[in-house]
Formats: sequence, structure tokens, C-alpha cells
Amino acid sequence: MAPREPSGPGVAAASSSSSTSRRPRAALWVLGLWLLLLAAGGWVAARAQYRADLSAFLPAAPTAEQRVLLDQLRSGVTARLLFIGLRGGQPEQRQQASRELAQALRPGGAFAGHFDALHNGEGDSWKETGEFLFAHRYLLSPAVDVQRFTVDGLREAFDETTSVLGTPAGSLMKPLLWRDPTGETLRMAESMVSANSPRSEGGVWVSRSEPRALLLATTHAEGADLDGQAAAHAAVRAAFAPWAAQGLTLELSGPGIFAAQSRASIQHEVERLAWAGTAAMLGLLWLAFGSLRPLGVAMLPVASGVLAGIVAVALGFGTVHGMTLGFGTTLIGEAVDYAIYFLIQSHPKAGGGPEHRGRGYLAWLREQWPTVRLGLWTSVAGFAALVASGFPGLAQLGVFSIAGLLAAAATTRWVLPVLAPDGAPGQGWRGARHRLGEVALRAARRLPATCSLWLGLMALALVWLVWQPSPWRANLSSLSPVTPAALALDASLRADVGASESGTLVAVSGASEQAVLERAEAAGQRLDALIARGLLRGYDSPARLLPSLRTQQARLAALPAPEVLRERVIQAAQDGPLRADKLAPFVESVDAQRRLTPLTAASLAGTPLATLLQAQLVTGASATATEPGRPWTALLSLQFPSDDAKAQAAALQALRAALADVPEVRVVQIQTELSALYAHYLGEAKWQAGLGALAVLLLLYGHLHGARQALRRLIALLVPLAAAVLLVMSGLALAGVALGVLHLVGFLLVVAVGSNYALFFDHLTQERLDGADATETLASLLLANLTTVASFGLLATSSVAVLAAIGQVVAPGAALALILSAAFQARRAPAKA
Amino acid sequence: MSHAPRDPLALRAAGLKRWLALTLLLAAGAAQALDLDSLMKLLGQVKAGEATFTERRVVSQLERTLESSGRLTFAAPDSFVRETLKPRRERLEVSGNTLTVTQGSRTHTMALDASPEAVAIVEAIRGTLTGNGASLQRHFTTQVEGDLERWTLELVPREARMRGQVAQVLVSGRQAQLREVKILMPDGDTSVMRIESLPR
Repeated sequence: MAPREPSGPGVAAASSSSSTSRRPRAALWVLGLWLLLLAAGGWVAARAQYRADLSAFLPAAPTAEQRVLLDQLRSGVTARLLFIGLRGGQPEQRQQASRELAQALRPGGAFAGHFDALHNGEGDSWKETGEFLFAHRYLLSPAVDVQRFTVDGLREAFDETTSVLGTPAGSLMKPLLWRDPTGETLRMAESMVSANSPRSEGGVWVSRSEPRALLLATTHAEGADLDGQAAAHAAVRAAFAPWAAQGLTLELSGPGIFAAQSRASIQHEVERLAWAGTAAMLGLLWLAFGSLRPLGVAMLPVASGVLAGIVAVALGFGTVHGMTLGFGTTLIGEAVDYAIYFLIQSHPKAGGGPEHRGRGYLAWLREQWPTVRLGLWTSVAGFAALVASGFPGLAQLGVFSIAGLLAAAATTRWVLPVLAPDGAPGQGWRGARHRLGEVALRAARRLPATCSLWLGLMALALVWLVWQPSPWRANLSSLSPVTPAALALDASLRADVGASESGTLVAVSGASEQAVLERAEAAGQRLDALIARGLLRGYDSPARLLPSLRTQQARLAALPAPEVLRERVIQAAQDGPLRADKLAPFVESVDAQRRLTPLTAASLAGTPLATLLQAQLVTGASATATEPGRPWTALLSLQFPSDDAKAQAAALQALRAALADVPEVRVVQIQTELSALYAHYLGEAKWQAGLGALAVLLLLYGHLHGARQALRRLIALLVPLAAAVLLVMSGLALAGVALGVLHLVGFLLVVAVGSNYALFFDHLTQERLDGADATETLASLLLANLTTVASFGLLATSSVAVLAAIGQVVAPGAALALILSAAFQARRAPAKA
Repeated sequence: MSHAPRDPLALRAAGLKRWLALTLLLAAGAAQALDLDSLMKLLGQVKAGEATFTERRVVSQLERTLESSGRLTFAAPDSFVRETLKPRRERLEVSGNTLTVTQGSRTHTMALDASPEAVAIVEAIRGTLTGNGASLQRHFTTQVEGDLERWTLELVPREARMRGQVAQVLVSGRQAQLREVKILMPDGDTSVMRIESLPR
């Protein structure tokens, strides 16, 4: 197709002068618009919020069970826990260190203010709480009811309490005997002391399996307040410093540590990848072009693309995840491809005169741009499949890449012709590029001969994948940026302290605090029955720390008036081990507590019980005019008598049956839910990858529809992509890598990116291009491929598993896609170079 | 009657005999006296057993002595069960590191090493029943008195905190059977448990 210009030399001269004078104005408009967009984008990007935490992989949960988990992870007290381990030295040193560290970090110590609570097994921290509990024992003890204060009930209670005396447990009761002869203190201790307490030595907690002392702290800062968390960690290290000099080491773990570590590592990785990626691009471009101007021009689509990506994500999602930026550094490698195609492939017509100067881009627009544009659409189709992902991180990657690619292509199409209408000027390195192109041309001619070899490898790969057990073995922990060593330390510290995460919860919801407490009590009764049957060992419930108003009022009503009580006490103590006249303090206590107001969550505030309660009772909010209500949730964690899976399964079945008649109760098995969550997202990702590949297929088919040898061409386009995917998949499976969601995304990207190369080879074959033109195209393809492989290869070296997964797949995949596209091209007639 | 001057050989023989007799007597006595290791070995030979017990507790604050009785069973290496039948049903089961207390319909389980106070009593009884000398020596200073027919093992907790709960435990028995466990608490309260082995 000839350029649309009036013909004839005179007219050409006249029109060229007028069009050249038109061009500066149009060019100015284009440049001006582009700069304006850049400035606007820069403003949006600077004001956008960036987040570098794990929430990129915490999706909007589809089921209620998962919502319970995620609420806890985000804002629960569990997110504020810090596990501290002290290792090294002698046991006495560790115990002393534990005592001193606790004193320094507690409210009132040298480093106070960072922690709400600090437990190391010392009883002193519970003294105040003990007094509080004692002063409210007739509200809190589960044994208080009308029957207890009848003559028979009192007699039985006296006998029970005295039978404990004479044993070491009784020595704790002795000072309280005359005020609490019915043993309410014992009953409260029974219901509140966990069966999972750590071992105690020298009065402080120590590990059963490792030589270390243990402390458990609750930070004042929320789980999501990473700066506050970091300050708390620093306080612990500072308080520990004198002991470090004596040879002890400090081990810290917990959700706050993970969050701070992830943020640091994501930030570090993004910076590293951005710098290294840009440096690699610049290096490769310098090798290819040899002068600064094309280098600068080539980076313009990259800059526009990255900015457009950030702006699109910021406007579409509100916050930009650090992970998105990490993935987005690959855009640097992809966006520069368009500039490479333009700069290398457009040049003034060979043998043309000065009037052909400044028109090189027109030939490119005519001949090469349609192929580039089609490649753009296939890439966009691939990324579009990600936008619907349930992972915010992946959805953001999709939007980022689409916006970035469109902006980079648009910049190449409209802005680069203005700035470098003749492509890369200067002949300096063209020789080298030309030689590169020649080599590429020779290789491209030889590769089709290896076609059958590749087919054979493909068949082998297919057989291997089918025969071996599935390599899709990854689970949720593969998405975590936390290192396996840190996870192992966390599991070990949790097991020592008895705060195991993976367990079973009974989640009870209610529309108000009292409703949920009443339901929790109902559930607790069912659980008590299961304990009596031996199916459960125990459970924790917030209703033990804060009984519902109804229960408390019933207990208060059960306390008789002093005169009545005195009578009954005298009768009950007859012939008994206790003397009635010594029990006056008991009657007075009961009378005093009869007049107490029932406890609410507010009454517990300020005591260590408040933290315990918060861990088990998630506050909700009533519905207001502007916001929907959130239910209150009580979390009852269960302890099973053994770890045997079959026994637990049987117990769970009985549990579900027993709880069937309590409304709004859910049994949540944390490990199962997490695995199910991951399996759900893997399933979703498979759909998305399938749809994306289908979209690419349809685009290619649409492009070829009606053309000659359409089917053969389609096969030549698709087989390289399929082969690249298969070979990479089998290679990773051979290497023992567990494939997961991110690898799947990587395969989709291989198809999307590799289709560009396949389209170019198809174009070359169709146009029967050979000689110099083919050399230029092949050189640009090779260079573009190198930049893509380099940027994804950098990603593969990342220490963050999520980023490395995509890099591991796309770097070899893109390289293979190029080689195989050349190999599967239809053989042409021998070259007439 | 006057004797001929004694034959020096005869004298020496008599002295030798006396010396031999004395040595034999001492040796015999030594063979009868017990030390911790041999006592533990003896007790450890009994791998399982069942007995009835009666217990009397004297607590200063109470009007009368508390009496209870029931059944005691143990099984090597580390478990025993004390089931009180009179005056009220109670069950105390120790297995490994787990202590389970059942009173009426309520069961409460806890880790033994999480409360050193419980460890003192439990280890004294369990260690003796199963012949676990190492465990006894880790928690108590031990002293064995008496002989095989009547031996007494005195246990005093090593850790000061444990001594605050239990001042001393005196275990006595005959050969490989425990007869009595006497627990003395620092404020003067005592608990005496008499054990009668059931015929197997």
C-alpha cells in the first residue's frame, strides 16, 4: 500500500513542505498531550497509597468459616501476639533473664508502653487478676446455682473442698477456706486454666523440647500497624541487650514479626528488581544501539507504561500492593520490546534521498505495526484473564500489565515517530546488529530441521507429566513471603507455649454481645457433654471469663439472704469437718457479692483478662444508617485427647451432631479451611488460564480466518506455545518444584508473550521476507526476547517465593517460545539472499 | 584351775575366728542394709500392681481427721491411678506428663510439669511405685533406712518452691511392696496413706 501522498515530484515537494510544516504542529500536539498525561499520572502515582503486606493474598472470602479466619488474622488479638524465646547459657541464667526481661517490658518497667501484657509463667502478674476473680467468684464460678446453696448442696460443697485440703492443690485453698468453703475459687481455676500450659521451671515457663525459656507478649499496636509492631520488637531487643553479652540469644516470632519481615523483604525486592531490571535493559540497549539517544527514546514507552500501570491500579483498587510493583518490574522488559521493534525495524527507505528522511516510521507503521498490534492484543487477552482473579495481587497484576502494555504501545505508535522518525540513528553499531541478524537468520533457517526433535521432546514431556504423580502440590504456605526457617521457629515456639494455630474452632455468631455469650454458653453445655464422653479434652470459651447477663443474674438470684444462709450453714456444718462459727466471713462475702452489678466487657478492661477475652470474643458493630452491622463472634478453641486423625474425625462428627440445634454455630478446622482456600484459588486460576489461552486462540484464529493455509498457519502458531508450556512444566516437575497458582499464571504469560514471537515468524513467512528485512526483524526479535527473558529471569532469582515462581516459568518459557516458533515455521524455498 | 601357758597358735586362731565372725556379721549386715539403687531395682521388678489404700489426713483448721479409702493401681513405666471410693468418688490419673482429675461428673486435665506443686506428690508416689530412681533423685534428696524387711525412703524436695508445698515424704514398705506413704506439709498438716496389696 503506497503512502497516502499526492504523486508527482513538484506536488511531492510542495506537499512535503506543507506536510512537514503540518507535522511540527501535529507533533507538538502529540508531545504536549503525552507530557500532560505523564504529569497527571505522576501526580496520581505520588499520591497513591502503597501497601507492602500480606493482604495481596488474603482474598474476599467466599465462605463464612473463612471470614472468621481472616477477621482474626487481620484485626484479632492473635495478630498482636509476640512469642519470645531465650536460648543459650545455663538454665538458671535463662530463667533469670526471663524474669528480668518480663519486668522491663511490663507496664511500669523500663520499656513500658509497647506491650499490653507479658506472660512468662510467673504468678505475680496474676495476683491482681486473682483478687478480681475472687471478689467476683459468685458471678463467675460455674458451680453457683440454687441447688448449691441448699443444705445438701452446702454439705456436699464443704466435703468437696475439704477433700482437696491435705493435697498440694489444697495448700492454695487453705488461706481462703473460711471465706470460700464451697470452693468457687477451685472451680474457676479449673475452668480457666488451659490444659496446654507450658512447662514451669524455676517459676518461669521453659520449653519441653528445647533448652529455652519462653515468654508471651501482647503488643499494644494493632496487627496492621507495622510501624508500632516494629517499635515493639526493637524494645524487646533493647531490653535483652545486656543478656546478649552473656551469651544468650533471642528468638522472636509471631504474626507481627512476619508482617514486618514481609514488608521489609517485599520493599527490598521491589527496589532491587527495579534497579537491576532497568540496569539490565539499559545494558542490553546500549549493546544494541550504541548511543544514548536511542537508549533514552527506548525508555520512554517503558516509563509511560509503568506510570500508566501504577495509575490504573491506584485508581481502580485504591491501594497499590508491593507485590504488584514486584511483578510489574517485568513490564520493563515487555514494554521495551515495542520500542525495540520500532527503533530497529524502521529506517529510511534504502537508497532514498533527503525527502525520505523523517519518513522511516511510515513504512514500519504500514508493514510491521499490524503484527505488533496483534501481539499486543494477545498479550492483553492473556493478562485480562487475571483481572477477574480472587487474589487482589493477581487482579492488580492483570490491570497493571494491561494498562502498561497499552500505554507503551500507544507511546511507540504516536510519540516515538515524533521523536525518532527514522528509528535508531547512527550506523555505529548497526554492523554488529546486522551480524546478529545474520546469525539469527542462519539459525532460523536451520531450526525447522529440528522440528521433529522438538516434537519428540514434547511427546516425552507429555508422557512424563501424565505418568508421574501430579506436580501441582503447592499449598497456601507457598504464597507466603516468609522463609521456611521462620515458619519452623514459629511453629516450635507456639507448640512450646501451647498456642498452636492449626486446630479446630467453634465459631458462634450473634447480633449483640449478650446474644453471642448466651449462644456460647449453650454451645459450651454441649461441649461439656462431649468431654464427659471422652471425645474432647477441653475447650476455651469467652463465656467463662464473662458470663452472659442472664447467667450472672441467675447466679445472683441463687445467693440466699444472710439470715437464711446462716441457718443453712449451721445445718450443713453439723457433723462436718468445718466449724459453723468460723464460717461468718463466708456469709458476709456472699452478702456483699449479692449486691454487685453484673460484669460487662468494660468491667474487665484494664485487667489481663481483657486481653484474654478479646482473643476469644470478636466485637462486632450494630447496623447504623451508613454501615451494615457486623456480628459478634465467640471463638471456642477445642482440645482433643489425642492427635490421632481418625479419633479426631469421629469426635468432630459427634461435635457437629451435638451442635446442630444451636443457631449460628460453625465448626472451623483451620488447616482444612486454609487448604480448601488454596484449592479454591488454584481451581479458579485454572479456569482463568484456560479462558485466557482460549482468548488468545480466538484472536489468532480471527486474524487468520479466510487466509490461505489458515489451519496450517494456526498450527504453526499454536504448537510452539503448547510445546514451550509442556517443556517448562515437565522441566520444573523433574526438578521437583511444587507447582502452584503462580506457576499457572506464569504459563498463561508464556502463551501471551510467546504469541508475539510466533506472530512475527508467521508474518515473515507470509511476506516471504528474506535478506536484509528479515535480518532486521530477527535481530529485533532476538533483542526483544533477551530483554523479556532478562527481566523475568531477574524475577526468578527473587527470594520472595511468589515472585520467583512466575520468573521460573516465564524466563525459560519465553526463550523456548522464540526457538520453537522458528522451528515450527513452514519451510520456505531456499533463501535468495 | 591353772592353765598351761596358752599356745600362741591357738590364741591367734581364736583371734582369727573372732575376726572372721565379726567380718561375716558385718558382711551379713551390709547385705541386709539397703541403698537407693537396690531398693529401686527391687521395686522396679514389679511392673504393675493393684492395691487398696486408706488415707487419714490431719488438717489443723478442720474439726476432725479426714478419712478416705479406695484403690490404687499402677503400671510401669509412668502411670498410676488413685481411685477414691469412700467417702466420695474421686479419681486421680497420672500418665506420662498428663494429670487427670475427675470429681463427680467433672474431669479436668492438665500438664504435670506446668505446676511444680503437683509434681512433688505425684513423683514421690509414682517414682516409688515404678522404681524410677533417676526421677526421684532429680526431684528429691533421698535417704534410705532400714533393711529389706522394713525399709523407709525419706524424700525431701530439692527446689525451694516445692518445699513450700511439701516438706517431706516418707515412704515405707516391705520388700517390693509399699506399705505406707506419709506426706508432711510445712504448716504441720499430714497425710498418711496405708497400702494393702491385693493378691494377684
